[in-house]
Amino acid sequence: MLNILIVGNGQCGNRILDAINREAFGKKSRFAKYLSQQKYKSNVQTIAINTAVNDLKEMSFTKAKDRIHIPHLHGVGANRNVGKHVFDDNKTHIMRQIEERGNFDVCFVITSASGGTGSSFTPMLVKELKAKHDYPVYVVVVLPFREEGTLYLQNAAFCLRDIRESGADGIILADNQFLKQMGGNMESAYNGINDMIAKRILFLLDALDSEMMMVTDLGDFKTVMSGGAGLATIGFYEATEEMPVRSVIQKALSPSGLLFSTDVYEEASRAMVIIRGDRERLSIDEISTEVEKLSSAVGHVFKGIIVRDGELPQVLAVLTLETASELENLYAIAVDAIKYERDKKERVANVKEVDRAFSQIDGMDPSY
Amino acid sequence: MVRTTRSFVISLCIVFFCLIMAGNASAAVELYNGTVTTGDGYQINNFVIDVTDAFPSAESASFYVYNNGNEVADFLINEGDSYELDFEDDSTIEVYLVSVSSGTLPVVRISLVLNNYPLGDVYESGVIDGGHKYAVYSGTPELKITKAVDISDVSVGDLIRVTVTAENVGDDKATGVIFQEPQQAKFLLYESFVSPTGQTSLEIGESKTIAVYQLKATEAGTYTLSPTTATFSNSAGLNFPQASSNSPVVTVGAGENLVNANIEFTTTLDKYTVSRNENIQGTIKIKNTGDAPATGVTVDIQVPEGLDFKGSSGIESISGVPKIYLESFGVQQEKEYSFTLKAAEVGTYTLSTENSYLYSDGVNTQLQEVSSDFVTNSIYVTKGKYDSLLEQPIYVYAIPLLIIGAIAGWIYYRHKQYKF
Repeated sequence: MLNILIVGNGQCGNRILDAINREAFGKKSRFAKYLSQQKYKSNVQTIAINTAVNDLKEMSFTKAKDRIHIPHLHGVGANRNVGKHVFDDNKTHIMRQIEERGNFDVCFVITSASGGTGSSFTPMLVKELKAKHDYPVYVVVVLPFREEGTLYLQNAAFCLRDIRESGADGIILADNQFLKQMGGNMESAYNGINDMIAKRILFLLDALDSEMMMVTDLGDFKTVMSGGAGLATIGFYEATEEMPVRSVIQKALSPSGLLFSTDVYEEASRAMVIIRGDRERLSIDEISTEVEKLSSAVGHVFKGIIVRDGELPQVLAVLTLETASELENLYAIAVDAIKYERDKKERVANVKEVDRAFSQIDGMDPSY
Repeated sequence: MVRTTRSFVISLCIVFFCLIMAGNASAAVELYNGTVTTGDGYQINNFVIDVTDAFPSAESASFYVYNNGNEVADFLINEGDSYELDFEDDSTIEVYLVSVSSGTLPVVRISLVLNNYPLGDVYESGVIDGGHKYAVYSGTPELKITKAVDISDVSVGDLIRVTVTAENVGDDKATGVIFQEPQQAKFLLYESFVSPTGQTSLEIGESKTIAVYQLKATEAGTYTLSPTTATFSNSAGLNFPQASSNSPVVTVGAGENLVNANIEFTTTLDKYTVSRNENIQGTIKIKNTGDAPATGVTVDIQVPEGLDFKGSSGIESISGVPKIYLESFGVQQEKEYSFTLKAAEVGTYTLSTENSYLYSDGVNTQLQEVSSDFVTNSIYVTKGKYDSLLEQPIYVYAIPLLIIGAIAGWIYYRHKQYKF
């Protein structure tokens, strides 16, 4: 049994972590925590870290002892510099909380790239973890909507770079912009994205610790994640009706099944495909055909099959990327945002229009 | 000297003992040892032993024995012989002829010994000149006591004059007569004119008025007056059985002057079949339908186990017994008291009240007390709405409670686990 640590940093990381814990109960009811136990196959420890206490209070399916509040007003206000200071000040406390939970085989840190706490804490946390432990640390990074604002875009750009430089063993990208296609209002979109990411991570955890007909394990996962440019994404599809497993694999690898916009056949470097479902529905020929098709494009593909009686086919694909054109697009926009913010700051500093207004009453006193 | 004194004391003791024995009876006691002339007799109580003939030459004599003048025996005995004749009860008289001597009239010396007869009971003893014809015998006084009333049909409050007379219709004087006049139930001694005073005596044929008094009838009914009794003795001091008078019957009707309070106590309930834990409303009505006011009206409510008295205004609970007490209650006055009972246990019950009151009937000086009971119809208490739930074995309640408790505990535990 694997020992797995999942850390959710910041509001986005907390919410995805809570969604994972909720999914682990197997039911979506808000009373699930009273009615059942979490069905993790592995020894999974979850920790939510945040400077905003309200974000921690919003969580429902993560135990209170697993929510670590780092007191700093009510958040760091999307300012990564403040966030880094706060982490430095509380590093000992955070690390002690993690280490109290024992040693692990693998760690996932979930964060938004654009926020304050998550984007500033995560690179420093990864660095600390890598410095003190030898288990692999993978970071699930959620990229912002492009229209969320210049500060978020700026944070995302610097956060991604910092994470890459922190020593993380891999970055799994999830792009809110790309997932916006799900539609609905903002709240349901966020919830849908969180659920989608949670479901994929749970599937992955389940696959890493399951007995399989064709085996993929943590070692295979490490190998996959070590390929390419250190960036990865996850594709997933669950058949909703009788459909051939071939179609399910194709759907998982298609843009609708991925967390990040990419053409897997063009940009992927290594892949791991895990197929789960009823034995009768898992046609080896179809699976082999699709996997061969993928491997012919990306090189090596690890293949795992989990037999679950009565289940419709589900496919999870972990793909590392050699290139990410969408990421380049993001950075191009981010550069503009950075420039815009810098120019605005300089302009404010130079023009000092407000100061001119105040200067009109210089030397005058109020009369009563 | 000492020996002489001791012998004297012992002799005295023996003599004293003999005297006691003789006085107590059963021993033989020589009553007479002396001479009796022919034609004379010797009387012991009502017995007379006549010496009818004496024969000095033959050293014998003949005797006739009479009891109350009636011959009961005759015998001839020689000197030195004796004859034993029956006396009163189981006693005998032994006649011993000591000697016969001649003279103008022959004289006999006799010894008379009483056997088994207390010497103290001998009330007559001596020689009778002329024999039994001149003996005086003791008689039997007989008292006829008559109790008479002047009127035997009266009303309550009326007076009756009672006259008691006694007449000695026996053949001897009645002595030491003591009359006893008993009290009469349901009558008051209103006035006494003549009353018995100590011991008295009644000569043969004498009549005396013993008592004259007035009685006041206090309660309607027919009553037999208790008899007057008397104890007495005859002239010889013999006691006789008690004499009693007749017992007149007096009928006492309700008089027009008599008044009474008549209080009706009624207890009603609003329902007689209830489920357990339900309430029953009760009402006690008190009404005086008589023509006299009452005092000390008391109603004690006897609440059976299984019903709980929930209280009411005007009804106090004294020593756990609900009680109504009214100091006075006028003629034609009415009062109502409401109370509530709670059916506590399944069963069939009756509610009873013990009622009492006092009143003056206008005749008697003492207040009349009236007591009564009132019992309601049966009250049926059936099972309550949820009683069947309580009839189940304990585990029927315990298991769900344990489950609920466990669930609640689990929810609380989980809530605490996830509450931040």
